[in-house]
Amino acid sequence: MRDVLPAYPSLVRSATLVAATYRGRIVLSLLTAFFPLLTMAVWLTVVAEGGPPDGWTTGDFLSYYAAATLLWNLTGDRVVWQWDADMRSGDLSVRLLRPVHPFHQYATSDLGQRLVFLVVLVPALILGAWLVPGLNYPADPLRLAAVAAALVLAYAVSLLMASTFALIGFWSTQTTNGWLLWWGLGSFASGWVAPLALMPDWLRTAGMVLPFRTTMGFPVELLMGRLDAHQTAYGFAVGLGWLAAFALLYRVAWRFGVRRYQAVAG
Amino acid sequence: MIEVRELAKHYRVHRREPGLRAALRSFVRREHVTVRAVDRVSFTIAEGEVVGFLGPNGAGKTTTLKCLTGLLHPTTGAVRVLGHTPHRREPEFLRRISLVMGQRNSLFWDLPAADAFEVNRAIYGIAPGPYKSALEELVDLLDLEPLLHKQVRVLSLGERMRCELAGALLHRPEVLFLDEPTLGLDVNGQAAVRSFLRDYNTRHGATVLLTSHYMGDVTVLARRVLVIDHGTLRFDGDLAALVETHSPHRLVRVTLREAVPEQTWAGLGEVSSIDGAVVTLAVPRAETAAIAARLLTTLPVEDVAIEDPPVEEIIRGVFAHA
Repeated sequence: MRDVLPAYPSLVRSATLVAATYRGRIVLSLLTAFFPLLTMAVWLTVVAEGGPPDGWTTGDFLSYYAAATLLWNLTGDRVVWQWDADMRSGDLSVRLLRPVHPFHQYATSDLGQRLVFLVVLVPALILGAWLVPGLNYPADPLRLAAVAAALVLAYAVSLLMASTFALIGFWSTQTTNGWLLWWGLGSFASGWVAPLALMPDWLRTAGMVLPFRTTMGFPVELLMGRLDAHQTAYGFAVGLGWLAAFALLYRVAWRFGVRRYQAVAG
Repeated sequence: MIEVRELAKHYRVHRREPGLRAALRSFVRREHVTVRAVDRVSFTIAEGEVVGFLGPNGAGKTTTLKCLTGLLHPTTGAVRVLGHTPHRREPEFLRRISLVMGQRNSLFWDLPAADAFEVNRAIYGIAPGPYKSALEELVDLLDLEPLLHKQVRVLSLGERMRCELAGALLHRPEVLFLDEPTLGLDVNGQAAVRSFLRDYNTRHGATVLLTSHYMGDVTVLARRVLVIDHGTLRFDGDLAALVETHSPHRLVRVTLREAVPEQTWAGLGEVSSIDGAVVTLAVPRAETAAIAARLLTTLPVEDVAIEDPPVEEIIRGVFAHA
């Protein structure tokens, strides 16, 4: 890792340059960047017609999904498609020949692209938080520092989880379909479909130990000030535990999987 | 430098007959076959050697190169390159080699060439001084100045290959693997790449293993050739020895001042072609000098030229006999 770190700034920079090359792609991607606001619109309609659930106000839903928009764009799951395409086409060969592990090449490529979106998205969210009445994020410096750490953890877990999943490509050609199923199931436990607090008990209990909440619900709830010190520590412990578990799984899957790579199509 | 002992690489591939019935049967029960892409191949290459690797499509050339660069794990056998076991892909090993694949792009496609080279500088951890001098040398030798600020994706095939070579050599690899580096290039492009590779080998003493379907690449660059077919090594030695061993004939091209009857050639050699006053005879190698002398003394000869058959023809012969 120490050998790789000096290459990170240049690799992230080049990925940013690549992401900034095509204006049409940026515009289209920015439109999809606000998808969580559609879910928010559904919830606001439900709340307007049936009244808010216990412990939640209209402002809470606004705050929740505005923050969820940031997390929606701070995920590393796109690497699954990149890995899959490179394994199928044989372009993984090019990456394997470089003295930087492919994981870091995909990670820096994704980070560079995230940076381009975040440069546009973060000011838009800050402006929205200032202009839209009802958005409420307690500005406690300690909490904000914890939120920053939770955001880093969210990205790291989502990237490592997606990268580990991508290695299934060494055994199967159905990685992306499998990932869509995994992500779809996970979206119930992550807080993406609805805040975890509003889910049935069994799902809430499962969500508290599965990796998905770390990638969305936990940082959002932390930012909204809905977690006490104990719940915050628990959230970090679960996230770090999954980070270690995926790192281990990745290593094992890589070790056995790369032997099966046949470098097809040249 | 490069040691290959009893290298074998076998693939297990799914096989199915055409048609709906076979597709349905295959859905329930998969049939697999083992393909022996490389089978017990052994050779060594010394430091600074340029070796041509020849063989028809599917012979096992690229699979061997992939084993030597660590892309593939050998099924059995041992491979050592620069003292490393390639499939472990240690960064120290990867910093000392390069593989250029004619049909594959390794530079960042969407960036200008100059930015793409900068990415390689970061990846290989090249210090600013050596990077600057390597880049200047490569820009000069490959005439890259007009290309540096163009996106890689908009370059022509020849321009792209020159940039690919530069990108692959920025870190000054000690061993260079070239897989069809002139594939698809026009005659000028091929000549430019060959000339550059010859210069590079002379300047830096890099060891080069080259596969190509263009015999010109091999005859210009390599003195030694490895010939592989159906995964097994058929020949390992000097190109001249290959010609001598596998071509018992030489070609004697006679230009006549006036036409002679066809039966004149009986007993002199096999008529390979007649093009007006120019007749080409295939004659036994050992009798070449004697037959040339007879031609000069008995016929109205204006000119005589003696040459070996084209290497392509000889290689075809090697594969046909195999």
